[in-house]
Amino acid sequence: MTSNASMVGLLLRRLGGAVPLLVGVTLIGFLLTQQIGPDPVWELAGRSPTPAELTALEAQLDRDRGGVGRYLDFMAGLLRLDPGSSLITGESVRSIVGRSVPVTLALMLPGLILGVGLALALGYLAARHRGRRLDRWIAGVSALSMSVSLVIVVMLLQLVFSVWLGWFPARGWSAATFTDWLLHATVPTLIVVLVNLGYNVRFFRALWLEALQLPSVRAARAYGLSERKILLRRLLPWAFGPIMTRLIFAVPMLLLGGSMVIETHFGIPGVGRVFYNAVLSGDQPVILALVVLTGSLVVLSQVLVEVGVRWFDPRAGTR
Amino acid sequence: MPVSPGIRGQRVIGREWALVTLGFRTRGLALMRKQGTVQWAWIGLLVVLLIGCNSDSSNPQAPVKVYRHAIDGAPSSLDPAQANNTYARLLVPAIFDTLYRYKYLERPYALTPSLAVGFPDVSDDGLIHEITIRSDARFADSPYFEAGRGRRVTALDVAWSIARHFDPASRSGATWLWRDRIVGLEFGRAIRPETLDVAGLEVLDETSLRIHLREPFPTLVHTLATAQSAVVPHEVVEALGVEFGRSPVGSGPFRLIAFDETQATLVRNENFQRGVIDLAAEGYDSDEHAGLGIEPIDGQLYPLIDRLEVQFIPEASARWNSFRSRLGTDLVMLPPELAPSVLSHSSPLRFQEEIARRYHTQATPEAGFVYYGLNFGNPELGHHNDPDQAARNRELRCALGQAVDWSARNLRFYHGIGERFTGVIPPMLPSWDGFLAPDPFDPELARQRWAQAGWTTTTLPNLVYGYQSGVQQAQHFEMFRANLIEAGYPADRIEQKVFPTFAELLRGIYRGEIDVFLMGWTMAYPDALYNLQLFYGPNAPPGVNASRYRNPRFDALFERARRELDPDRRIGLYRELNEQIVEDCVIMGSMVRTRLHLWKRHVHMVPDREIIGGFFLPFVDVEARTTR
Repeated sequence: MTSNASMVGLLLRRLGGAVPLLVGVTLIGFLLTQQIGPDPVWELAGRSPTPAELTALEAQLDRDRGGVGRYLDFMAGLLRLDPGSSLITGESVRSIVGRSVPVTLALMLPGLILGVGLALALGYLAARHRGRRLDRWIAGVSALSMSVSLVIVVMLLQLVFSVWLGWFPARGWSAATFTDWLLHATVPTLIVVLVNLGYNVRFFRALWLEALQLPSVRAARAYGLSERKILLRRLLPWAFGPIMTRLIFAVPMLLLGGSMVIETHFGIPGVGRVFYNAVLSGDQPVILALVVLTGSLVVLSQVLVEVGVRWFDPRAGTR
Repeated sequence: MPVSPGIRGQRVIGREWALVTLGFRTRGLALMRKQGTVQWAWIGLLVVLLIGCNSDSSNPQAPVKVYRHAIDGAPSSLDPAQANNTYARLLVPAIFDTLYRYKYLERPYALTPSLAVGFPDVSDDGLIHEITIRSDARFADSPYFEAGRGRRVTALDVAWSIARHFDPASRSGATWLWRDRIVGLEFGRAIRPETLDVAGLEVLDETSLRIHLREPFPTLVHTLATAQSAVVPHEVVEALGVEFGRSPVGSGPFRLIAFDETQATLVRNENFQRGVIDLAAEGYDSDEHAGLGIEPIDGQLYPLIDRLEVQFIPEASARWNSFRSRLGTDLVMLPPELAPSVLSHSSPLRFQEEIARRYHTQATPEAGFVYYGLNFGNPELGHHNDPDQAARNRELRCALGQAVDWSARNLRFYHGIGERFTGVIPPMLPSWDGFLAPDPFDPELARQRWAQAGWTTTTLPNLVYGYQSGVQQAQHFEMFRANLIEAGYPADRIEQKVFPTFAELLRGIYRGEIDVFLMGWTMAYPDALYNLQLFYGPNAPPGVNASRYRNPRFDALFERARRELDPDRRIGLYRELNEQIVEDCVIMGSMVRTRLHLWKRHVHMVPDREIIGGFFLPFVDVEARTTR
């Protein structure tokens, strides 16, 4: 195990190195929304504005100033943890992020964790029965999961569980009670599990195949250890790094990309939906805040994975 | 390679700790469990979930009467100043009061006082309107009022609510309603309620307001029934600033308790007291409204429901699925592509027996129309200083109109239940001119017409067709191009330009980047002037005259019509204006779409998403049932 001091040093170096990356992300995001994004002035202008009203609206939205000044203001706001207000709705960005991120996490995390757990199990079974019927069945299920469009799965499961069976609401979000949360999160969770299953199973199957070839595993078998003990004492510890890497990196991706279709179709007020609306209306403060949040999470994930792996396996830093 | 037990054991302890946090059963798990680590890990996960759980501010104690409405888009703000779309117009009248409203059931639409005590006393010259408001109207309770109790609504509130549209800080999109109409109301300065110094908005006392007009304004009362005219409390607006649109407080029948990108939740406003429903006065017709179960609401206090949930569902299939599910919405407005799922015949329109048995059904024409607009700023298509070229351009426009097959559009995009008409005054308005027959679709005649005007395949102008990104809009373009090619228009002269949003399409029109566009226009009040303003010269972009049409005769007639107080003479002027539009081939069109509504049997109402917007919501009744 490496010393705590060197770990802290590594952590600081990595976080320090992330600053230029985040600045770059904000700059690119700002330029993109500035140059090719929709103009929020026209979103608010109504159907029959006068030129004077358009000019006043530009001033209201601070669009009459140069880009450099606005960018610097935004960065200063970020340092104060106050990225301003939505240009379209007027709601503070902090409030938007504060209400939408927990919803997305409460919606997507169970699916992510359950999905990885199921994929670990199926991948293990496939690897253990490599080339046999069970392996082929699991490969078939994986291929199906990867080939079917997310939108189709969403519509199909909504139809089955909400319309035909009537077990769950077709849309909406409420987590006022645990029962409410179960009612609203179950079908989306099932969808997250299903659509990611194929990719996860293939990944973990390959991982388990490699793990099963390890000399320590062969030795354990030679000593007569049960398969359960081999799995718990040899395979899982060995695979911990890759598993954690996949899990931790999935979180920032889930926040923006993974949840957009599900949140839109199920009417869930999470980050994906907020980001989609912001992009369509050119709501620069919201877009940039979410880009910074996601970028920060990616950087943080990277650092966490690196530090975690080195902590558990000091050889990782020397390779 | 064998691993040293000592080294291996040391490393494994570290790994096992991490595995325990993931819930794996390892040798160290039992040890950690004893120390409560597993419990803490679960508690951590639950905390994350509960943060999400707590983000819902809806009332966990479900009331007995809940109505769940669905609309196909979300308003970004519920501030009346930004109520520029159908979605906001549904919700704003539920939260706020307006001086006037439309009667629940009467068609054609008829006005009735709401916050006002009666209709205005109008001076003989039509320039002064005196309005008295109710003395018992109060805003909903809010922390921004003294002691949190909603205060009385005053005439000053009414006056300021109109005047604030002209204060740039309001970011209003509705100044056009009263622009150049009310004395002293000019855009561009801060307007404070304490020093409301607009000469045309004279507050006489707490309940009386006098409006001084620059010229007679026969549609003034209609504008005072629009969502944009809703009355807001100035102290709340000033306290919240632009966030008022997210947390609005009004004196309407409902009070907003939650609002996000997917849903608005409202509960009954206990401060709203408007007496009992007089169904006959609302326009009840025993033949027309039989079987809808609305008779029992007569004589009851309104609103009738305790809780109103409006879900914003842009995706048609999700809207339909939600309606059909047991726990879903109570109403759906079907998009035309889903019409085959519910109709057995489109002409005459008839719902399937099973659908009619399970649900209440309604098929009504929209209060608006769709048409193809043309860019008169393009000198090869619209206005030209040379009268000969201008005449050739007119012939080309008329020929294009004959090349467009509206019947095919009706079948492909509106399931054959749309209604074709000529001009811009649809059949639902009293000023509709039924004698104006639409030009028949005739590609050969179209070709001959532009050829006779001197256009050849080498001189025909390039046409840029602009549309908002979307499958159906792209299909509209393809059909338009196919129609023109069939008539002999060179395919390489028809371009498409796609815009990500409707607002961007409008910006494209403003910049003159588009020659042809398909536009849907929904009326905010039932008067032809609302449609005719689309062609009034001074309304050129960024105004609402997207075609950039300017015709001194038309403009003069329009100005006469908008101040004509005699209804019959006004209708005559409207018809003249309409004929001018047809004569100049300003647009290609038009068509009225048919709205198909279904709602569940336990809900008793007559829904309306058109002009009346959210005014029907206080009269909705549902059978009491256990809610989720």
